[in-house]
Amino acid sequence: MICAGLDAGSRATKVVLFDCDNKRILAQDLADQGVDQERLASDLLDRACSAAKINRSDLKGIIATGYGRNRIGFANSTITEITCHAKGVHHLCPQAQTIIEIGGQDSKVILLDNEGKVRDFSMNDRCAAGSGRFLEVVASRLEVDLPTLGKLSNASRNPSLISSMCVVFAETEIIGLLSEGVGAADIAAGVQNAIAQRVMALAGRNVQGPVCFTGGVALQSGMVRALETALKTKVIVASIPQYTGALGAALMAGQKASTGLVQ
Amino acid sequence: MITRRITFDQWDARYKALKADGLHEPWYGGPLRRHVTCGGDLRLPHLLYDDSAASLRLWNFLLTENERLHKARADGCKIIGTMKDLGTVPVAAYSLDNVRAFYPDGAWWTPCLMECGDGLLAQAEALGIDASFCPVRAMLAAFINGEHFPRPDLLVCSTGAVCDDFSSIAQRLEHLGFPIEWWEMPRRREPDGGETPCPLPGGWIAPQSQVDCARSELERIGKKLGDVAGQTLDDQKLSEGIRQANHVRRLMEKLRCQAYSQGTLPALEMHIVEMLAIHFCSDREETVAVLEDLLAESELRLKQGVHAVSLDAVRVFWVNPVADIRSMNLLEEWGGRICGSDYMFSHALDLIPENLPPWEALAQMALADPMVGPSWQRADRIIVDCQQSGAEAVIMSRIPGASHCSSEGAVICNRVKEKLKIPVIELEIPPVCDAMMPALSSRIQALLETARARRKR
Repeated sequence: MICAGLDAGSRATKVVLFDCDNKRILAQDLADQGVDQERLASDLLDRACSAAKINRSDLKGIIATGYGRNRIGFANSTITEITCHAKGVHHLCPQAQTIIEIGGQDSKVILLDNEGKVRDFSMNDRCAAGSGRFLEVVASRLEVDLPTLGKLSNASRNPSLISSMCVVFAETEIIGLLSEGVGAADIAAGVQNAIAQRVMALAGRNVQGPVCFTGGVALQSGMVRALETALKTKVIVASIPQYTGALGAALMAGQKASTGLVQ
Repeated sequence: MITRRITFDQWDARYKALKADGLHEPWYGGPLRRHVTCGGDLRLPHLLYDDSAASLRLWNFLLTENERLHKARADGCKIIGTMKDLGTVPVAAYSLDNVRAFYPDGAWWTPCLMECGDGLLAQAEALGIDASFCPVRAMLAAFINGEHFPRPDLLVCSTGAVCDDFSSIAQRLEHLGFPIEWWEMPRRREPDGGETPCPLPGGWIAPQSQVDCARSELERIGKKLGDVAGQTLDDQKLSEGIRQANHVRRLMEKLRCQAYSQGTLPALEMHIVEMLAIHFCSDREETVAVLEDLLAESELRLKQGVHAVSLDAVRVFWVNPVADIRSMNLLEEWGGRICGSDYMFSHALDLIPENLPPWEALAQMALADPMVGPSWQRADRIIVDCQQSGAEAVIMSRIPGASHCSSEGAVICNRVKEKLKIPVIELEIPPVCDAMMPALSSRIQALLETARARRKR
């Protein structure tokens, strides 16, 4: 039985096709998010099916998650990204007790029980300062792309202190730092530390190891180190951090299909 | 069986059907649509409604407050604008004959304001109070344009243990030429050793000296109220006023109990019902009639085994009033139901002691206001109420710009989580939440999914 999970995030839509019988991922893919979210998701799903050499009609269930999940009309059902990330991470990293997910638009801390079910969660909802959007703004200001920004941070000797709680004001701080001759590496590392501090504030006293880091920002070189420093604990990066939500959705679709809940 | 929710458009046909069935309405009755066409209440078409005649009466009562106040003024009644205390001074004001009290600061919350054509929030910004302040700022513009309520004969406002942003707004109002009679509300604290303790309604304890302070301030305000009304607000009158207020509160309690435990009325209508507690929507007697109608509907549904929400829905305890009442619909659409609430004025739902000298009783009630003490005390009451209502999750909504929201959230959320081990989320709900829908949806749905998953363990 093959099922699909679609994660319509704020920056990208991700798809995972999962073979529930053999418990393996058949295909995974992503595309930039856009205006016509349903068409983008549909095209992406077709592309993944083509890569897996199956027909769309072979899919026994499709579940959509992410901010745009309700726009995916062809999905059989929708589930929030909290539940889906928990499911996906538990599948990849069963020992994880805490998930840190930093996406394009927000960040989340999800606490799991021993069965991998969500025990509690918290999300930032006030500003972009704890999200991937912050990194995008900084990368643009430093005139580098995102992967380069991550690499830059590794060269930092004296990370800058970014104190603003707001991306707009933080950008002003960065302009000030640049005008004082502070190097891009120190600014990049400072921004990563600022994001890690926001996540720590979000997590409060609730972090229990092992901690698994997922979401697109987990691909940023230097972010793991920043999180480990802030949380004072080891952080594992999910093997396919951008796809854990979509994977969780595919797994949930499989569960629903096996119990006859997906039509 | 679950009652159906109807859209604003569907209310037209429903209204005709109710009329054909012999619906008898008070003077403020009529189709819901007129509040949009005549009153510019543009938020109404975005809501889903309970389809009962009792709920229609509730909406019409809520949305005709302005007319009611103008009518009262024309009939020679004195109009008292009370601000901030949420449920205290109105009890005293309604103890006098021919006096109506209302909350100008409550105007922000009525559905009309969220999308109203005259843009009160933008006008308030032009008066120097911008979006970094609580939406209560809308009252500034309402005072200036005079289109939402008549200029009060007396304006009373509590100060001291109140929100910083509210104080700024009220000060600005006074500066704009609207004199305010201020009264001091001490910040509630636990008695020091050697101080005489005074148990308050709701379970907290304060030093008697604080109760004495509040009593003395309220007596002073009572004298002012009497002067404006040309009467003396004596103990006998106030005691009767307290008895009448308690009658409203008893009805409210019965209705809350049925609606929240048996799901007989939806969250949206119940949110409005609770708001009646603080100032009776400018007519105490009519509030009783509206509540009795709703109670009759609720009891009928109970008898017929009809519910407004599925009893299987996740039981959510909601903290703070919402800036956009559409979010009450959303909770139910996504599989939740309200099992209890603290909309910031639980003291206005508790019975006022009738066995005490009346000013002492009113002062005790004022000090029992959840917002005048430390947040951990409010959290403790929420915990007790959650336990009693069997809450499976808690939503704490923030009002953008409200100064109390930034400090109380973490304290209350952490304490509730620690004690009850149930999921709790904080949500910022702006005055029009449409653009925030995906974010709100994710948070509320994730909370409900988490609570549901816990049932299976």
